[in-house]
Amino acid sequence: MCARMAPAASPAPYCLTLSLLHLAPSLIHPTPPDGRMEPDPTVLASLRKAVEAMPDDVPLRVHLATLLLRAGQRDEAIRQVGAVLQRDPGNAEALALLQEPPGPPAAATEPGGTGPAASQEASSPPAAAGQPPATPGRPPAAPPGNRKAGSPGREEPAAPEYDWSQAESELRDVLPPMFVGSEGTNSEAAADAADAYDAEPSTLKLADVAGMAQVKDRLEAAFLAPMRNPELRKLYGKNLRGGLLLYGPPGCGKTFIARAVAGELGARFMAVSFADIIDMFVGQSERNIHELFEIARRNAPCVLFLDEVDAIGQKRSQLRNTPMRSAVNQLLLELDDVGGGNEGVFLLAATNHPWDVDSALRRPGRFDRTLLVLPPDNAAREGVFRYHLRERPVAGINLGRLAKLTDGYSGADIAHICETASERALMDSIHRGEARMIGQQDLEAAISEVKPSLGAWFDTARNVALFANEGGAYDDLAAYLKKRRLI
Amino acid sequence: MIELGPELARADAMLDMKRYDQASGLLSRLVAAQPESARAWCLLARAHLGGGRHQQAVDAANRAVSLDPSDEWPHRLASNALLHTDNYPEALRAGMEARRLAPGHWQAHICVAQAALGARRLDIATAAATQARSLAPNEPDVHFLSGKVSLAAGDLDAARAHQERALALDPAHSGAMNELGRIRLRRHDTRGAVRHFIRAARVSPTESVYSRNIDVVILRTVSRMIYIFTLAALLLIWIPVVAHLGRFPFAIGFTVLGAIAVGAFAWMVLRLPPEARMLVRRTLRGRRAAAALAVAVGGVAVAFVAVALVPASELPQILPIAVIATIGARIGAFAILRGAARR
Repeated sequence: MCARMAPAASPAPYCLTLSLLHLAPSLIHPTPPDGRMEPDPTVLASLRKAVEAMPDDVPLRVHLATLLLRAGQRDEAIRQVGAVLQRDPGNAEALALLQEPPGPPAAATEPGGTGPAASQEASSPPAAAGQPPATPGRPPAAPPGNRKAGSPGREEPAAPEYDWSQAESELRDVLPPMFVGSEGTNSEAAADAADAYDAEPSTLKLADVAGMAQVKDRLEAAFLAPMRNPELRKLYGKNLRGGLLLYGPPGCGKTFIARAVAGELGARFMAVSFADIIDMFVGQSERNIHELFEIARRNAPCVLFLDEVDAIGQKRSQLRNTPMRSAVNQLLLELDDVGGGNEGVFLLAATNHPWDVDSALRRPGRFDRTLLVLPPDNAAREGVFRYHLRERPVAGINLGRLAKLTDGYSGADIAHICETASERALMDSIHRGEARMIGQQDLEAAISEVKPSLGAWFDTARNVALFANEGGAYDDLAAYLKKRRLI
Repeated sequence: MIELGPELARADAMLDMKRYDQASGLLSRLVAAQPESARAWCLLARAHLGGGRHQQAVDAANRAVSLDPSDEWPHRLASNALLHTDNYPEALRAGMEARRLAPGHWQAHICVAQAALGARRLDIATAAATQARSLAPNEPDVHFLSGKVSLAAGDLDAARAHQERALALDPAHSGAMNELGRIRLRRHDTRGAVRHFIRAARVSPTESVYSRNIDVVILRTVSRMIYIFTLAALLLIWIPVVAHLGRFPFAIGFTVLGAIAVGAFAWMVLRLPPEARMLVRRTLRGRRAAAALAVAVGGVAVAFVAVALVPASELPQILPIAVIATIGARIGAFAILRGAARR
């Protein structure tokens, strides 16, 4: 069960909670005389923590909502159901929970409710999510439209019509509308929009980034220290308007660093990738970009990370597609809006091709600060090797030597090296008929096989540093290329 | 069932963003699901063209042609792709078919002109370029290609006029800047050529051809300097035989020759833009250029030392060896530099 979960900060509480629920139902309070099964408050608290740690786990949320309903905490239950429907608009169990009539369940038919009924209740398994708990003598509630409640032949009074508008209005109070003045908006469309851009907490810190001391120092000076010290910032007149553009060769950790920055700031992290961007351009691109920024503002403090920003902010002169040009214009408007006083939204962007980014995006107040993220240094390469080998059977690995041999390789190249070495060891084990450890020679053989992938990027970068460095925008890059004698 | 319209729009957006690999992936899945869509095959051909997979572009374009033979676009795509595979006759045939289907499209005429230029059919290229200009006089690419045709025909003035017109219509047309550089080279104006190549590289730094052209100009300049140096050396080594000069004046002569060569080269480099000077430094530090210079200087030095140190009575026997050494040094240096320029 734990293996099915997405990697999360703390899977252990979830596993523990579920095992408690399924293996030890006696932890749930014994059935009170009125037949209602009230969940243990500690169980609810554990489930809430688990949901906080894994906000996208839909079955977990449904389970929590079910228990909250049983506990009579209807408002919170509706909130959880709303969150489920945001992520999975057609979730049948969540919709069934909404159909639960308000008020406590009916009393048991047998007076007292003790004895056989109680023992029957205690030993029955927990109700499946979405189904109301069975009470002694009463069959499970029928799905909507099925009026065959109760034993055949017995006349049952007709169940009252479910008040949908009341349910919707209850939900509306809990979830703010996506667009101001459009409360009649289709909730499914609103859920779809929110679905695309989830603001999640980041648990990474800069200390988790191995090596790259220069990059971290620069981040600290240009961004983090002023953020954390507003008084000093005001004293020295340091302006924090605009965002930070991380640029550099592919596979060198720009996205990872962006997450670490979010973690350092204690902000939520909202990443927009190329796949999200491309979907923006099929349809109403300006509206989608505006919505993206609105979600970031609602989730403040939030780091809004635009990955592959050269796609969304490409030079308008290079675009023949009008919607995409409009998208760039909208992005410029939003950036000015954020810089103009919307506190709490920190803009980060990353690109492998800063020279393709529209120059208007690089103007003061927008992405006017840049940070070159170079291929990992020695310490960083050791860290990358350590990370990719940590769950593999290795022995006698000299990380220092491996780091030395992989000067000029990206993090992605190093991951490829580890993968290649593992394959080597795997095939050898298959041939030998017995498993063996991955050794130093496997890794060194893989290094000679895997060539660094950054050559093409540096060829282009050289031309940019030589011919397109007006204003000194690429002085960092030019200095690095001179140092490596590439210029 | 995949909804074709939105997916094709996504692919089109990816192509506009020059994300050719992602577009190829998406379009490959689309054509697998809906192989009867000619437009999807055309976009796939475009994606392959952009990604440098020319044969696959040809295949995709041909598939589109088979699905919709009356559309000119797949024929034009096929022509472009065939050009890149150096199959000029087929590229010309496909271009002409596109032109037949859409005689009013200037792009089809440009396609014919390009293919004819590759196939060295200057008459067809000139006629097609003229027709394209009459259909679209305000399209920069039309004038750009007309300039290339004129340059191939040897009409440098017309070529320059066309490229300048292209730049007037699109000041950021890096291709036109590059062509102006090539025209300057034909006129042996190295400095002017380098300035145009640098302008082109500044506008489109991601295009490696412009910096490559600058490298070629630098190598040609180095090669010319080596030629003058070895020629002067060849004349100088006769002096002891003809003028019966002593060794000391002869050594001074050699030193002065070396100083003049270095000085002339330095003067030429200083007149270049700063970016080109950095490239010169990088080129001279490169293995091939350094090897060529070492061969040239070394060969000449051996010839001079032989002539300077040998007794006067043996000069007539040594002189042919010295001449051969000097000529051999020049040939060796040129061969190394030619290899560097081709790389």
